[in-house]
Amino acid sequence: MALSPRLSLFFLDILKCRSCTVFGGLCVLFGSFGFPSQVQAQEVQVTGPLAGAPAVRALRLHRKGRFEIAPTVSATLLDEYQRTILVGARINYNLFDWLAVGVWGAYGAIKTTTDLSDKIQKLNDERFNPSSADYRTGAGETGRRLVSANVGKDFKSQLGTIDWVIAPQLTGVPFRGKLSIFQKIFVDTDAYIFAGPAFIGVTERSSCGLGTSIDCSTRNADGTVATKPTVSRVAIAPTFGLGLSFYTNAWTSLGVEYRALPFSRNTGGFDSYGASQDERFPDGRVSEKDREFKFNQMITISLGFYFPTKLDSSE
Amino acid sequence: MNQARAGLLIVMALMVMPAVVGAQGKPRKQAAGAKKRANSQQSSPSSEPSASQTTSTTLTTGTESDKTVVAGSESTDSAESPTEEVKGICEIDPSQCPQVDLDSAAKRAINSPMYAVQQIYALRARRFEINPYWSFTLNDQFVSHPGPGLAANYYLTNVLAIGANFNFYKGLNQDSSFNAQTRRAARIAVPLTEYDWSAALNFTYVPMYGKFAGFQDFIFHYDGYLVGGIGGLANKPIAVIDPDNRSFDSKINVAFNAGLGLRIFFNRWFAATLEVRDYIFIDRLERTTIEPDQQNKELWYGDSKLTNNVQAQLGVSVFLPFSWEYRLPK
Repeated sequence: MALSPRLSLFFLDILKCRSCTVFGGLCVLFGSFGFPSQVQAQEVQVTGPLAGAPAVRALRLHRKGRFEIAPTVSATLLDEYQRTILVGARINYNLFDWLAVGVWGAYGAIKTTTDLSDKIQKLNDERFNPSSADYRTGAGETGRRLVSANVGKDFKSQLGTIDWVIAPQLTGVPFRGKLSIFQKIFVDTDAYIFAGPAFIGVTERSSCGLGTSIDCSTRNADGTVATKPTVSRVAIAPTFGLGLSFYTNAWTSLGVEYRALPFSRNTGGFDSYGASQDERFPDGRVSEKDREFKFNQMITISLGFYFPTKLDSSE
Repeated sequence: MNQARAGLLIVMALMVMPAVVGAQGKPRKQAAGAKKRANSQQSSPSSEPSASQTTSTTLTTGTESDKTVVAGSESTDSAESPTEEVKGICEIDPSQCPQVDLDSAAKRAINSPMYAVQQIYALRARRFEINPYWSFTLNDQFVSHPGPGLAANYYLTNVLAIGANFNFYKGLNQDSSFNAQTRRAARIAVPLTEYDWSAALNFTYVPMYGKFAGFQDFIFHYDGYLVGGIGGLANKPIAVIDPDNRSFDSKINVAFNAGLGLRIFFNRWFAATLEVRDYIFIDRLERTTIEPDQQNKELWYGDSKLTNNVQAQLGVSVFLPFSWEYRLPK
């Protein structure tokens, strides 16, 4: 595009005039100051009226200022000898929508043996059965002597169990959202983490052997090995986990959570450790050294009730 | 000199102009004002309509920009003499400007479809998903089978995909020390199995979709899916009962799988995944007794058992192509 002669002369005059050049430079400078107004308009588009606004408006506050009472059912995972179903309840007071204090308590109501335990019991019954084929052989007698310190007549009775758990805990709720199922059902959801100390009632095989007054291989009158006695103790361990709550209405929810209770215990009632320098071999007695560190994981499902039943919303 | 100063002032004014243009609210206000005036003039029939008023009372059902033009013409008309008046389309051809009762039009029922979830953040339809992951055994306390895996899916629709996955376990199986303890204490041997690899063809269905606000500060999207399929799993027994004589070769078993997963999107093409999947197959275990003919391989095998290998798969997903265009505006 060619400039008209008159306009060309105009720009030439400006270039010849030093003060005009300075003035022109100032104009460009001020003009460039004028540009930010356009950029500001862009910024308004980016942040807009939502600038500084919370991520969620009118959030239904399912937790803040409410008590939660949730009956729970927990099932232990990766058990070697015995599975436990714990029935209990969780009571929380939600100080904020993101923080709750409370306690979870549960009782080991159902204890079922694993396939491995059933096999051990069956094999042991055969070993001590006088009518079995191996009973009178040398191998049969050797087998009985080798297992007598570790496996009693009723194997299930000597297994380590979790009898009850009481766990005061803090619950944090970092994530709050909603879930669409089939694009038809919408459920408020939150994800939470929790942690605290746990007091665990544990039953496990009592100490026996060297240094104690109890023989680990006590026999019954019929030649069978006596059922191993057990004792109860209270273990203190950390507990932590995470879970999801699905709010079915203003005052009830369904929940699923994973919990770990790491502590050491003797799950099988065996003499496994204590001898040699690294104590990795049986030492002929059952003691604390035979406890093995377990993660003790469990999955819990819950039905939560919230009080008061009326629900508040954020701004 | 004066000319130059005046020219520079004009240039400066022109530079400031874009800021005014950037504020786009003004034309709307003008249009709204025109509409308001049109309504007020409609409601006062006693006032004698001029040519320009006639134009504004015959508002068309056109776009907002049309209305702006009408408003502009009104202000121009009032400034110019009647002799310079330009005839509007409504004067030239009134049939082009039908009378509309704005109040009744506003009350008209609109049957526009509303979707429960509009413009899903991360569309999956017609996209590939590449999903490398690491798997952990959840239910085998005797031998754990960790290992890397790779899944690839193609989403036929937003909720349905076909794909395949591959798990590699060879050399990574871990025999628990608990096995040796049990053998020593109870004189019982449990048949153990190690896995080499598995592969499957799968369908994936995504019925759940949602979003979370993290710390009331940021929002991320997630979905939940179901997956199932059929394939093969290569495994072999670990010789426990008679390790001096028995050495097993790997065999491929038909394996069904079913699982569910959670996918958390970091952006529209990158996500973290957590999946729990059960690989179900019939496993031939090592025979727990030793037969006289110890070299006969057929006598090395004992019972066949339905086995569930439940594993957690933790990984990331990359969706291709990275971007897309929505069919409908938001």
